[in-house]
Amino acid sequence: MSDETLVEVQDLKIHFFTDEGVVRAVDGVNLTVQRGKTLSLVGESGCGKSVACRALLHIVHPPGRIVSGKILYHRRLDNGLSETVDIADMDPKGREIRDIRGKEIAMIFQEPMTSLSPMYTVGSQIMENILLHTNMSKKEARALTIELLAKVGIPKPERLVDEYPFRLSGGMRQRAMIAMALSGRPNLLIADEPTTALDVTTQANILDLMLELQKQYDMALLFITHDLGVVAEIADEVAVMYLGRIVEKADVDTIFNAPMHPYTQALLRSIPKIAMKREELDPIKGMVPSPYRRPGGCPFHPRCTKALPECSTIVPAITKLNENHLVECLLYEDLATRKAMERPS
Amino acid sequence: MTEQSLSYSSPQMQDESFLLEVNNLKMYFPITRGIFARVKGYTKAADDVSFFIRKGETVGLVGESGCGKTTVGRCIVRAYTPTAGEILYRRADGAVVDLAKLQGEELRPYRKDIRVIFQDPYSSLNPRMTVFDIITEVLKVNKLAQPEEMRESVEYLLKRVGMRPEYMQRYPHAFSGGERQRIVIARALITNPRLVVCDEAVSALDVSIRAQILNLLEELQADFDLTYLFISHDLSVIRHICDRVVVMYVGKVVEIAEGLDLYISPKHPYTEALMSSVPISNPRLRARGSRIRLPGEVADPSNPPPGCYFHPRCLYAQPICAKESPPLRLLDGTRSHYVACHFAEELSLRGATMEE
Repeated sequence: MSDETLVEVQDLKIHFFTDEGVVRAVDGVNLTVQRGKTLSLVGESGCGKSVACRALLHIVHPPGRIVSGKILYHRRLDNGLSETVDIADMDPKGREIRDIRGKEIAMIFQEPMTSLSPMYTVGSQIMENILLHTNMSKKEARALTIELLAKVGIPKPERLVDEYPFRLSGGMRQRAMIAMALSGRPNLLIADEPTTALDVTTQANILDLMLELQKQYDMALLFITHDLGVVAEIADEVAVMYLGRIVEKADVDTIFNAPMHPYTQALLRSIPKIAMKREELDPIKGMVPSPYRRPGGCPFHPRCTKALPECSTIVPAITKLNENHLVECLLYEDLATRKAMERPS
Repeated sequence: MTEQSLSYSSPQMQDESFLLEVNNLKMYFPITRGIFARVKGYTKAADDVSFFIRKGETVGLVGESGCGKTTVGRCIVRAYTPTAGEILYRRADGAVVDLAKLQGEELRPYRKDIRVIFQDPYSSLNPRMTVFDIITEVLKVNKLAQPEEMRESVEYLLKRVGMRPEYMQRYPHAFSGGERQRIVIARALITNPRLVVCDEAVSALDVSIRAQILNLLEELQADFDLTYLFISHDLSVIRHICDRVVVMYVGKVVEIAEGLDLYISPKHPYTEALMSSVPISNPRLRARGSRIRLPGEVADPSNPPPGCYFHPRCLYAQPICAKESPPLRLLDGTRSHYVACHFAEELSLRGATMEE
């Protein structure tokens, strides 16, 4: 672990114990978020990306439960030292996690319409977070709120601070949400599909804003999305998730230009491109299986075009292709183990 | 309401290849106040919209939310009665009718010719009806056939859209989003339509399913000789499926062009901004920094700015733009590039970043 590591998720398992059976929404996820960097978590609906990220704030709704694993948060203290705490181990309603939530780790959601309360003014909702985490007076908090609203590009912030959310457009609400998230000066901002509900021009503006603020505040960004175009625009590192597991992880250039996992390759082939020539799309066959009927072996094998006979029985382990490129696929595992065996001799 | 001069001069359905022609379509929704519902003003959801669709082609209708693209689609299927304008439709026998003028029973024959595929397959299927009932409802309502006689056609159609015919007796809750969208497509096709309005038909679907449905729509178009009006906000989907594209901004058409032409050389500043904000799925082509940032917000269609609706956000606006509304006109030196901008000839605008 380097000093630059902010959050390390180790073998995280979150299962949902429903009447119909156990849903293994997150099934052994390993992630590392570096300070000041952007990690993008990509996957289709139901792959567990949102559940995994919410767990970083220890928000897991019943019947879900963190079954095992660690979420190590490396915190820098004022005296120059650092300490490591395990978020997974904390009481979800306890003091410790509540000090982290909204302050050191903040989150913004997809629906800016539903994540702001319609009953309170925009300003009072942002102030609430400031008052909760600092010793500021109401007056100071209000001044800071206006400053933050201006920072996220809201015109006439001193007037808007007293407006109710319904008066704001979708893009403006998302900006207000970002202002709220920034109010605690977080080390990590988790953004769960923050631009999916927005128009393209608004999306472009919000992405630019987030990148700008990231630099200014030197915060890490964990960006969850299903839109590969957005990933290509903002990510440093990319983790591709399928049925509760991270199947491939690499830097953004490798993911898009030299993907190794058949799922990543298939995903990239199935997106329509803005290109000179219109080519036929190559969709992934079948669909994501029901969470109650997870296929054995590699979860992707029923849809995989390169599946080997062993894929239906053996769960692939993580193969390190190089320092930054991890993949979970039998196609590479053999190769790597063979190399490992050859090396001693 | 001010009548605008008809400057979009198309040969009024003289061209045999036209299936549909929309001329100066206006759809105003009244804004009412008080207990007597006094009309305070109008939301001009579609304001002077004109375009045409040729037989067998796929026309894309793009724009951001609130630009009126869905309203136009709904006027064409006559879910709305337009405030003004023409919707000329060429019937299979060659006769041309104006759908905008027809009412009630008169529309019945066209209900089967023009069908819709909606965005959200979760809310567009009645959870209390079986797949068979859902698909055959239109036949019952329009007295086209007895549903019992249709079992074979439904079986065939389900197979055609990639579903197992045995699933006919199941209810929608048993299906995933992609399968539901296939049911929605089967329901649209059961009447043997000639024009299908796809209103954000793939926007709610996951990447891998979206590709399947897009391919299916293309196959069906070839097999059933369909014409599509494809309404979407997603420019990469539009690029993939459309032959020609109509761009709308606050109730008005700002540009119409052949697909590739629009992406390579947009002539309207709004189209340019749209193109530059599309995320490109290749990190080596990152648009960071060079992206056009539109200032301000989309204009309010009930209280649009004077002149060109886009001028307050336009990077190239001149004094005239705030005064005169530019008509949609054929661009000099082109056969089919229409644009509504005073300076379309002078401006040299940047196209979309092309991947390969």
